[in-house]
Amino acid sequence: MTPDHPALQLWPVAASATAVETDELILAFTVLTLVLTVPVFIAITWFALRYREGSEADRTPSGIRSNLIEISWMLIPFLLTLVFFAWGAKLFIQSKNPPPDAMVVEVIGRQWMWKFQHPTGQSEINDLHLPIGQPIKLRIISQDVIHALYIPAVRMQIDALPDRYTQMWFKADKVGTFHLYCSEYCGTDHSVMGGKVTFMNPGDYQDWLVHAGAQQGKVASGRALYQAYGCAGCHEPGSAVRAPGFAGLFGSQVGLADGRTVTADAAWLREKILNPNGDRLAGGGKQVMPSFAGRIPEQELGLLVDFIRSYPATGHAAEATR
Amino acid sequence: MSEGLAEGVGVARAHQFETVAQQRQAATLGIWAWLITELLLFSALFLVALITRIEHPEATVAAARHLKFWIGATNTVVLLCSSLTMSMAIEFSRMGWQRAMVRALLATAALGSLFLVLKAYEYYADWEEHMMPFLAHRPFALEETPAARLFVNLYYVATGLHALHLFTGIALLLGMTWMAAKAGFLARHQNWIEVYGLYWHFIDLVWILAFPILYVVNRGP
Amino acid sequence: MSASGTIEGAARREPHVPESTIGRKPDYLHAESTLRSWFFTTDHKRIAILYLTSITGFFVIGALAAGVVRLALIVPNGAIMTNDTYNKAFTIHGVVMVWFFLIPSIPATFGNFLIPLMIGAKDLAFPKLNLTSWYVFMGGALFTLVAVVLGGVDTGWTFYAPLSTAFSNSWVLPALIGVTIVGFSSILTGLNFVVTIHTMRAPGMTWFKLPIFVWAHYATSLIFLLATPVITTALVLLIAERAFHVGVFDPAFGGDPVLFQHLFWFYSHPAVYIMVLPGMGVISEIVPAFARKKLFGYRFVAYASIGLASVTFFVWGHHMFVNGQSDLASLVFSALSFAVAVPSAVKVYNWTATIHKGSLRLDTPMLYAMGYIGLFVLGGLTGLYLATLAINQHIHATYFVVAHFHYIMVGGTVLAFLGGLHFWWPKFTGRMYSEPWGRVSAVLIFLGFNVTFFPQFILGYLGMPRRYATYPPEFQLLNVLSSAGATILAAGYLFPMLYLVYSLWFGRKAPANPWDARGLEWETASPPPTLNFERPPEVPRIPYDYPIQATEAKDQHR
Repeated sequence: MTPDHPALQLWPVAASATAVETDELILAFTVLTLVLTVPVFIAITWFALRYREGSEADRTPSGIRSNLIEISWMLIPFLLTLVFFAWGAKLFIQSKNPPPDAMVVEVIGRQWMWKFQHPTGQSEINDLHLPIGQPIKLRIISQDVIHALYIPAVRMQIDALPDRYTQMWFKADKVGTFHLYCSEYCGTDHSVMGGKVTFMNPGDYQDWLVHAGAQQGKVASGRALYQAYGCAGCHEPGSAVRAPGFAGLFGSQVGLADGRTVTADAAWLREKILNPNGDRLAGGGKQVMPSFAGRIPEQELGLLVDFIRSYPATGHAAEATR
Repeated sequence: MSEGLAEGVGVARAHQFETVAQQRQAATLGIWAWLITELLLFSALFLVALITRIEHPEATVAAARHLKFWIGATNTVVLLCSSLTMSMAIEFSRMGWQRAMVRALLATAALGSLFLVLKAYEYYADWEEHMMPFLAHRPFALEETPAARLFVNLYYVATGLHALHLFTGIALLLGMTWMAAKAGFLARHQNWIEVYGLYWHFIDLVWILAFPILYVVNRGP
Repeated sequence: MSASGTIEGAARREPHVPESTIGRKPDYLHAESTLRSWFFTTDHKRIAILYLTSITGFFVIGALAAGVVRLALIVPNGAIMTNDTYNKAFTIHGVVMVWFFLIPSIPATFGNFLIPLMIGAKDLAFPKLNLTSWYVFMGGALFTLVAVVLGGVDTGWTFYAPLSTAFSNSWVLPALIGVTIVGFSSILTGLNFVVTIHTMRAPGMTWFKLPIFVWAHYATSLIFLLATPVITTALVLLIAERAFHVGVFDPAFGGDPVLFQHLFWFYSHPAVYIMVLPGMGVISEIVPAFARKKLFGYRFVAYASIGLASVTFFVWGHHMFVNGQSDLASLVFSALSFAVAVPSAVKVYNWTATIHKGSLRLDTPMLYAMGYIGLFVLGGLTGLYLATLAINQHIHATYFVVAHFHYIMVGGTVLAFLGGLHFWWPKFTGRMYSEPWGRVSAVLIFLGFNVTFFPQFILGYLGMPRRYATYPPEFQLLNVLSSAGATILAAGYLFPMLYLVYSLWFGRKAPANPWDARGLEWETASPPPTLNFERPPEVPRIPYDYPIQATEAKDQHR
């Protein structure tokens, strides 16, 4: 492991001015914590040694009035910590009031994926691309249970509630790719409900919107759906169920149980997802896939088919987008 | 409290207590502590009902219009009467009039049962009016206002919980009356009547809170 | 560990009251020995032993579940178990540890055993009710346990709606019913304590002669009485929603999911003090006994218990800073949460001042007490980090929170529990445990605990969310460290279970007052007779009447 190995980084990257100030706040608070605790620890250890039974120590009462001591150690630490209450509250209020020119990104959470829609209409699933130097406001809602959107690089999280909008805003100032999580426990795949947020220069962002945003974004979204709807659990090579894989599937000729052969085009794949019991495949495998009719919206079906289309001829789903 | 008791009326001391007075004091404090707990159980529900009323006034009023105000009012009177008979039972027990006490206890149980009958009729009327949103095959009358649903649900939980308390109360009361009819009861367990009386008054009190919070304040603008 | 070593620790101290064995009635353990005499007993001491046995069982189950969780987190990609298994494991850990171990731990065992002894009473005010509350507890707990073991529950111990009411396919309903039932057991125990402390004190035992242990339990009992009914309401509403679709929390039925969090935390924040206050009571007994010095600032410590129990009802909103509650509410709850620091600081500084110029013995209970003070201070101050709004936005629901409350719950309550268990073990059982083994285990637990949980503060600040079955690979090093610490901690827990049980048969007989401690519980035999005292105990002039007393505080014991 080299010293800059990610496992040895004990401080998270800060990608906004608010994140930097939050770090300063916690560092200052830690200094206060040390000021308040180290004397207690030293005192306990010192007293334990000095006043051990049988030791020659002066044990005459000190004669200090106890009420004064009591009140001072009640109030002084409390007043000191109040400074941090005020600082934290100030920063919090700032982070609650987005500037009017913020760019609004719509966020929808559901078990177990995030959907982001850019103001220009492009949408992504689990991954999010954003420009730096521009205030961003995320308007967040959930379709089912309570989730929470958490981006450690900007030191922010907020719940996604099923019945009302919440919001979060920040202004990123560092280019890079960072984690994005769901931080409110939401059921089985809570820990995989997340992805990456990529902060880009405004020019790159425009470029991404025009080119990659439309294309690569689609396939990545399809892959996220492939995970979120549980397709991967059976169709990914090496899974226990050994459902048919997608490598080289698109456009190929598929033999059916009744002897016919069909071309695996977009229309056929779409129909097969909605109605897996039709067009049984040759080879005698047991048909266990449930029907997804009515469960996957039309637009997402298109993304799934796009994903299958771009699936590499050999190998795993992950490579489809790399 | 031990003053004012007739000859031959009293409490047999349990082994853990030093004196009968201590035992009585413990029993009274115990039941009060229990009642405070119970009051908080209901107050959470009432508080939520009031918040619902403040946040969604129209929907709440629309839903409360289906409540049977006069059944609720009659029930309030019924429970107040039952508290009266319960108080009488306590007085009789102090005076050592065992037969009168048993009759007053039975009257209390009867009034309590009357309340439950009226309440059941009210639920039936709600069912007729499609006011049970939790029934899957019976569409809710106020389907278009979700907040009405919230209020109606709270109404069922609160009144259902109260009815459950009353039902338990009647069962305990009948069991205690059966024992209290036996000879020598008042010499050993007079304070049971006092302690139970507090519980009965409490059930009454909860209804006296529920009636205005659910029925009266939502009667309309 | 030679036999002489075993005795050495306690042999220096001659019994305070010489033990007379002739013509003594049999103690409570040997008065009767049928199973019936145990399961239908109304003796508070026997009921305490019933509780002690059952919560030890629950602790083992909860600890095993924690072991499963730490095992899963050794690898980042979830290769050891499925996400579902992981979720069920941490739910078992949370439900069992919080509801069936921590909440009853000290009150139902030590409180049950010691409160009547400490106030000079023969029993609690309502002995039958006391037995009932054990049966209610066992009924509810076993009901839940069957549900989580047979079917599994995957909602976490917090049961947030609408996940718990509409979306989880696991056995949520029986778990909820069981937890609701256990709540009634807490209420009955609290009620019994309040009435007992009010009405059963021996003549001369005024409020300001009560040990802090009793004060702490009085405060705890008030929380039992005032907060538990609210969680009962919340759970009843959850049950109604899940079973009958009476939607109060699910927006699909017109409900409000945040409402559940309000009702839940209105109980569950005070519940933290149900777990913490009795521990503070235990420490307040141990520290003066092993410093041979009167507790510093007795009145302040007593008032601080009541203060904590009061403030704790007004801070529940600090669990909800990121759930969209109004900014004003967040500001108020944040400010009020800082106020919790005041009574907590009072306790810590007073314990430290008690050690000052004492005459210290570092026996096992004292080692636990000192460990407690250190860990509680860290746990408490990291709580203030979480109460700071801007910091909370970052570390809410991360491993920082996990580390924080384990410092309070394990570093605090569990260490206090173990310290108290060793301190009163001679009183409970009439036997001495092995002092060297006790010290080794105390140190082992302290080290294991810190290795397990300190890395989690860092993980949390780095941004690892809690309740994650899989995590980014760069967090693996710290997670492996934490799991390694858990192994040390497990060994530390295992030792006391072995040597304490061993001492039941092979331990040296304990004198009435092996530590030369003050307090009425030490005035009677070890173990005490069925009705606690052979003759009415004499209430001392002042509480904590130890040899070393500062003359400064005349106004302390007016």
